[in-house]
Amino acid sequence: MNATQTFLLELHCEEIPARFLSKLGSEFAEKFRQWAETEDVHPRLGWTQEERLDLDASEEFVLPTAYTDFISPRKLAWRFEEILALQPDQTEIQSGPPQRMCVGEDDKPTIQGEKFAEKWGVPFSAVRFEQPAGKKEPCAVVTITKQGRPTVDLLAEALPGLIAGLHVPKAMRWGKSDFEFVRPIRNILCLFGDQVVPITVDGVAATNTTWGHRLYHRQHPAPVTIATPEAYESALEAAGVVVSVEVRHARMAEQLDDLAAKAGGRVVADAELLDTLAEIVEFPKILRGDFPADFLELPKEVLVTSLREHQKSFCIEGPDGALLPHFLTAANRTDDPAGFVKAGNEWVLKARLYDARFFFAEDRKLALSVRLEKLKALTFQRELGSYYDKTGRVVALVKTLATRLSTDDEHIDRALEAARMAKCDLRTLMVGEFPELQGIMGGEYLKHEGAHEEVWMAVKEHYRPVGAEDAIPSTPMGCLLSLCDKLDTVAGCFAVGLIPSGSKDPLALRRAGQGIVRILWERGWAFTPTDLITAALRVVGTKATKPASETTEALMAFFKDRVAYQLELAGYAGSVRRSALAAGWEDLVDLKARCEALSAFAEDPRFASLAQSAKRIGNILKDEIPAGNFDSGLLVQAEERVLAEQLVEVEAAADQKALLATLADLAEPLEAFFSAVMVKCEDPALRAARLNLLHRLRKAFLRVADFSLWQ
Amino acid sequence: MHIQELILRLQRFWADRGCLIGQPYDLEKGAGTMNPLTFFGALGSKPWNVAYVEPSRRPADGRYGENPFRVYKHLQFQVILKPSPAKVQDLYIESLEALGIDLTKHDLRFEEDNWESPSLGAWGVGWQVVLDGMEISQFTYFQQVGGLDCRPVSAELTYGIERICMFLGGYDNIFDLVHGEVKTDDGVFPVTYGQMRQREEFELSAYSFEHADIDLHRTLFDAFEKEGWRLLKDHGHFLSAYEQALKMSHTFNVLDARGAVSTTERPGIIKRVRDLACACARAYLEHQEGVVAPAEATGKGGAK
Repeated sequence: MNATQTFLLELHCEEIPARFLSKLGSEFAEKFRQWAETEDVHPRLGWTQEERLDLDASEEFVLPTAYTDFISPRKLAWRFEEILALQPDQTEIQSGPPQRMCVGEDDKPTIQGEKFAEKWGVPFSAVRFEQPAGKKEPCAVVTITKQGRPTVDLLAEALPGLIAGLHVPKAMRWGKSDFEFVRPIRNILCLFGDQVVPITVDGVAATNTTWGHRLYHRQHPAPVTIATPEAYESALEAAGVVVSVEVRHARMAEQLDDLAAKAGGRVVADAELLDTLAEIVEFPKILRGDFPADFLELPKEVLVTSLREHQKSFCIEGPDGALLPHFLTAANRTDDPAGFVKAGNEWVLKARLYDARFFFAEDRKLALSVRLEKLKALTFQRELGSYYDKTGRVVALVKTLATRLSTDDEHIDRALEAARMAKCDLRTLMVGEFPELQGIMGGEYLKHEGAHEEVWMAVKEHYRPVGAEDAIPSTPMGCLLSLCDKLDTVAGCFAVGLIPSGSKDPLALRRAGQGIVRILWERGWAFTPTDLITAALRVVGTKATKPASETTEALMAFFKDRVAYQLELAGYAGSVRRSALAAGWEDLVDLKARCEALSAFAEDPRFASLAQSAKRIGNILKDEIPAGNFDSGLLVQAEERVLAEQLVEVEAAADQKALLATLADLAEPLEAFFSAVMVKCEDPALRAARLNLLHRLRKAFLRVADFSLWQ
Repeated sequence: MHIQELILRLQRFWADRGCLIGQPYDLEKGAGTMNPLTFFGALGSKPWNVAYVEPSRRPADGRYGENPFRVYKHLQFQVILKPSPAKVQDLYIESLEALGIDLTKHDLRFEEDNWESPSLGAWGVGWQVVLDGMEISQFTYFQQVGGLDCRPVSAELTYGIERICMFLGGYDNIFDLVHGEVKTDDGVFPVTYGQMRQREEFELSAYSFEHADIDLHRTLFDAFEKEGWRLLKDHGHFLSAYEQALKMSHTFNVLDARGAVSTTERPGIIKRVRDLACACARAYLEHQEGVVAPAEATGKGGAK
């Protein structure tokens, strides 16, 4: 077994956008691992043939090479351990012409035979004759051994191509070159053990040096030498760069909690922001700043959004959930010698909050309702018209559905008011600045205007759930508004032919559809998809460009998929979902009850037997539909009479749970029935009675599930 | 630091590093990039370094001179370096030091911020430069201008003059900035930004939001467009035609601030400006170098 070395490559670039870092890191690692395998520079080659076969056969092929990737704003780096210093000798088998053409009748090589040996640089005596798979006769074969090459040479040849071949989503050029990369490469550190791998990429030649933090180099003009790959982290930490994103992340998380606690509160958590910060600083330190307390009059969501979007800062909330006049942000240095960093961040934040307060004050100079007219100039969708048109449709939908949920006229009037106001905030300055505050601002402004709490809460939450993780609106009115808004979007788009397909869903209609199903599911509202589609298409009216029947069919298929997915989200087992859905999916309240009941029985071993019997029943009834009515008096065998008695009980079951209990009791009698009774007997009356018995049983089953799909 | 001192130092710094010192272009525009020194200068193969101040108008940003941070018109200091030098980031940092910013005491970051001007058919990638949490410059590697690939690539540095001055002086209100001092026999009189510009901010904001004649601006937009294409097609004059594109752009900005442009209308209007600007770019390159690359897609850079 020959010696192994550690390989280290660092591309030192101008600041790389955070969003590309981790993808580039893992992509190169994967490419390198494939290359190492192809070139046999992996220690596994030092193992015996038997060991390798054993491994290959036993498990998924995983290279054991240890590797680490390091990503930071100016660095993409990778370290691979245990790479062979010398590639093992490579043997190759080459085959040539058939034996009869290589060897003459005198057993001497023919000219063709000599040429084949010459081609591969071996004496003719080294040529063997074997019959390769798929050939009819023996052919000339030689085994060529190529001497293994030093890995450093192989690396030098391969790396420029591997680097240039990285997939860069938004590639750029710089200077005079046509080379493309994510940002200009300014230095390359490339070590195999302590040896520099001589590569050049776009005119930059590799060395054993790199650059630390910009501040560090103000005092130390020379580059940092990395003696060995193992010294990478420590040498750079000393030069002001924490190369591991995980370490930076952990340090900041700890400091955030610590500083928030010291300020008497806790961080308003934002995992995405912390991830971003870990990727845009190389020597992190969280610092606390303060802002004037009078900005706390702004809604909490405005402050949190403004701080996050403009200043990549976290808010701190007190024990009661109210914000404190402090913020936390990351600096790209671990000290603040003159206090400039803190003061600067505070100054900028104040400017931003000033702007937010300006928007908040300006927006409130006019009643929110004044914006309703202005929605006419805001297009919702080309065929479906403006947001004003959309508002009209949503109001109509709310009217239709609200009367089925409530008989209180005042309550219904408030729901209609919420629907009229829902989209008005799209014309406010604040939502113009922070689109993610849509709905929230409308609610806030209505609250300030003294609107009924039901109304402003409904408007505030009507975009929810914004994703699978988000909750549905907290009030029934919010749910109704959200449902109607999403329903209009989905049905309207389908009616003009905008139907999601495959991975294409630019209008996020599936997410909207899922929101509708979740609201129905969690609220237990009894609207069926047919009800909803009919109501929605009525309000879309003449804006539809597709025939209503076509749209309805597409929407039914769409909602069925959404319902199926809802069952997955709810965590039901596959057998429960399949069999329950097949017995009807439109009545969600009923579907939920059936899934719950089925899940409770899922572990019952009798269900496996019941499923088998259900399949047999299905097969028998497939060929022959029973005629006439069921007359249990015609049944003769004990096994079938028992079954008929139990059927009476099954059909009398009051709810899903009772039904399932009686069904489970059928498992054994059914088995007995099928082993003793010949259903398709000669006597036509008896045969009809038996078939009718099975038909009735199947109908009873289908009240809860199609057990033939239970596995 | 006074505004004029900041400008003088930047001009000195970049002149010493081999830049021509240009002048603002005397037409309304939204950004220094629109100055022909950049728009045409970034095209073609010849080396080109230039630096200049550009007053930039953003009608929708007007706040009647009442907002301490936002204004209708601000000053940009624009630098174009073609081809982009290998040490361009270091050069930029040195320019900050020339302004008296001691970087050992500050936090300086380059955060992704890609630039795109749909009305110029131009885009590039780069950063916003953030000093202690405040954006003080835009830094862009031009990839396309006028719908044409930039070869070689220019680096564009844009300094926000008022912002940097406010930041350095700790001012909380842009109108308190001191532009410079007037010295007379009677004494020294500091002149503030507010004295020079506040009334202008008020009137231009009022114009953009309230008084601009919408019908007139629509008519003007059409007329500038017609004039531009006539100059280009009948006479092959890309400089005077480009001026018409600039006028179209500003006219559109006024209409937009006035709330006269619907969201559906917007892309179509921008495209009309872009079509003329791109045609001017191609005519320039043909005139300058006798060759022009086949029409490039104006989309953003895709996968390699």
